[in-house]
Amino acid sequence: MIKNGCAVRLQVAITNNILANFSWLWELVEVTLARMHRALSSFSFAPAVKARLIRAGFHSTADLFKLRPLQVSKEAGISQEEAEDVLQAVHSEPNYGKTAKSRLTALELLEREQTLGTIVTFCSNLDCMLGGGVPVGKTSEICGAPGVGKTQLCIQLAVDVQIPVCFGGLGGQVVYIDTEGSFLVQRAVDMAKAAVEHCSLLAEDTEQQEALKEFTVETILSKVFLFCCHDYMELLAEIYLLPNFLAQHPEVRLVVIDSIASPFRRDFEDLSHRTRLLSSLAQRLIKMATQQSVAVVLTNQMTTKVWNGQSKLVPALGESWGHAVTQRIILHWEEQQRLASLCKSPTYREATVPYQITGQGFRDVAPTCLPTTSADPSAFPSGSSHKRPRMEEDCCS
Amino acid sequence: MVFLREGLCPGLSEEMIEALRSKDIRTVEDLVSSDTEELAQTCSMSYKALVAVRRVLLAQHTAFPVSGADLYDELLSSTAILSTGNASLDKLLDTGLYTGELTELAGCPGSGKTQVCFGVAANLSCELKQRVLFIDTSGGLSATRLLQMIKAKTSSMEEQMEALQRIQVAQAFDVFSLLECLHNLRSGGFQQVSAGGGVLKAVIVDSVTAVLSHILGGKQSEGMSLMIQVAGELRTIAKDLNVAVLVTNHVTKDGNGILKAGLGLSWSHVPRTRILLKRVEKPSPACCSLRTATLVKSSRQPCHLTQEIDLKSWGETEDELPGPSGKRKLMDEDPREA
Repeated sequence: MIKNGCAVRLQVAITNNILANFSWLWELVEVTLARMHRALSSFSFAPAVKARLIRAGFHSTADLFKLRPLQVSKEAGISQEEAEDVLQAVHSEPNYGKTAKSRLTALELLEREQTLGTIVTFCSNLDCMLGGGVPVGKTSEICGAPGVGKTQLCIQLAVDVQIPVCFGGLGGQVVYIDTEGSFLVQRAVDMAKAAVEHCSLLAEDTEQQEALKEFTVETILSKVFLFCCHDYMELLAEIYLLPNFLAQHPEVRLVVIDSIASPFRRDFEDLSHRTRLLSSLAQRLIKMATQQSVAVVLTNQMTTKVWNGQSKLVPALGESWGHAVTQRIILHWEEQQRLASLCKSPTYREATVPYQITGQGFRDVAPTCLPTTSADPSAFPSGSSHKRPRMEEDCCS
Repeated sequence: MVFLREGLCPGLSEEMIEALRSKDIRTVEDLVSSDTEELAQTCSMSYKALVAVRRVLLAQHTAFPVSGADLYDELLSSTAILSTGNASLDKLLDTGLYTGELTELAGCPGSGKTQVCFGVAANLSCELKQRVLFIDTSGGLSATRLLQMIKAKTSSMEEQMEALQRIQVAQAFDVFSLLECLHNLRSGGFQQVSAGGGVLKAVIVDSVTAVLSHILGGKQSEGMSLMIQVAGELRTIAKDLNVAVLVTNHVTKDGNGILKAGLGLSWSHVPRTRILLKRVEKPSPACCSLRTATLVKSSRQPCHLTQEIDLKSWGETEDELPGPSGKRKLMDEDPREA
């Protein structure tokens, strides 16, 4: 649809020859040039509306220029409300105010990343590997065989996200979507108790003393919103409704889905349908994480892949799902040692660190000097979070 | 298919359209392909007017020839080759990314597509002092990592900030917002913001598959058309704004287990150059930042050229800094009350 300058000039010359007395021709050309055409099919109208508009000859925004809703509805055979919606979308399009919100410079993004912060795991090696903990505003996936501690890590995060701001936490709330029935409230109580105890040891000034009064096992549990979904339909419905819920509960900083795999590993005959559902789900989750500033943590199961006669354990849900999440952590065993490996991250390098699960929750392995192969400490956001590392060390000792 | 409508071209009046419609002439296509003389007779309208309208319509819809010499001059004056900042990748691309063209990176999860995109963005903004638009569709954009790469190039805080400001970020998590974003770019929406100087030289879309894969296939009819629209917009942007477009794509396995780029055959015509990134399979964990890049499609170099690239080459700052334990100790001494 775009004509370059030369073409337009030539075209004007030709048309001028033919219709010398049409002086408003220039005006027309200018109008067409000034309004760049955008194809109507690139708008998110209902398919039926789109089809009707195109059948009636409206192809680009320029075709709807200066038309009234009534005219459009009559010509295209759509209802007047639909026509109004269409025209509104088309007319608001050249003003960039709406899109400016989603456009920023990398510097502003950096500031945003630093203010959003991270959720500590209480395992300082893991935190270092992740640059301070699980990042808010991004999606992370925790994969692992049964019993390796995926759910434990999720519950730990659900408690840790609530650490008051004056202790270097986020003071947030949690949405916990449980699809396997594995959320154990008793474990949550254990971990909450440990976290409260730990913070009370740290409390020094009056602000922290005040905050501690609000930070009890009861309040921690009351700030966990648990949803149980039994099949993939319920899970999809829940995720479609979640942005509304988050809008009503702006304090929520963490959304856990434990696990994404179990509802999607059964009931599917058509695997390409599953792949499509999952990738659209992933886009929804990423959008939610970015726009509503929550950390999205998913757990995934492992499956055996046979390749050239060898078998190895790989995350379930197929290769294309691997693209869906921003960050992927695999929890695995080596002998008697539990290990966490970062195997996909846009920010930090791949690394493996040991961890253990104690009665109090997810912790560092006993503080023998372990070689830490971990991420860039410079990325450790300064500011409020500088208190965190101390807490972690204290809690392991 | 363009319908005849008043105002479509000068001289095309309401009565004329009505008369033509009664003879079942509704679109430009119908008018142009019908016999003008016969039409003038059957519709009883002025032959001269009809010929005039026909010529204007043809002029409006035609393309114009450009001589090869002019094209070459334009090429020499406007094409820039942008270095990616990585020598082996540059070798693969025949010295770098060409403006006016689409380059694609395909690879498995964790194969380093996003890292290459960051590297290119950091190099363009920091070394070449040009502006970059990074369209993030998968939430993978990490400004922390960008800063890390820029820090490896310059130690001046001011330059780092300027380089970051030259990287524009747009977030589009579905295909319609991607199209809107591309359209705004084409009609000059991004040109208005120009902090830090420089000209927009590259548009990076990471990843184009994230917004397209789930609308393709099955019983959905719209997906293919939207994909072609995205392709069209990207090509127009590359040509009209004279920028290099870099997109990332996922991979699928064909029947023999060989990796190939995603989005199917129709998309494979879109990028001019296509590179497949793979992890180097070695047991030792030390070389985890090594990747192989294979040229799968190119109009300049022989295909299946392979180079080994190190993702670290864009900058890894951690070696220069104290280890995490040292850092922690430092912070322990740092009193909270301060």
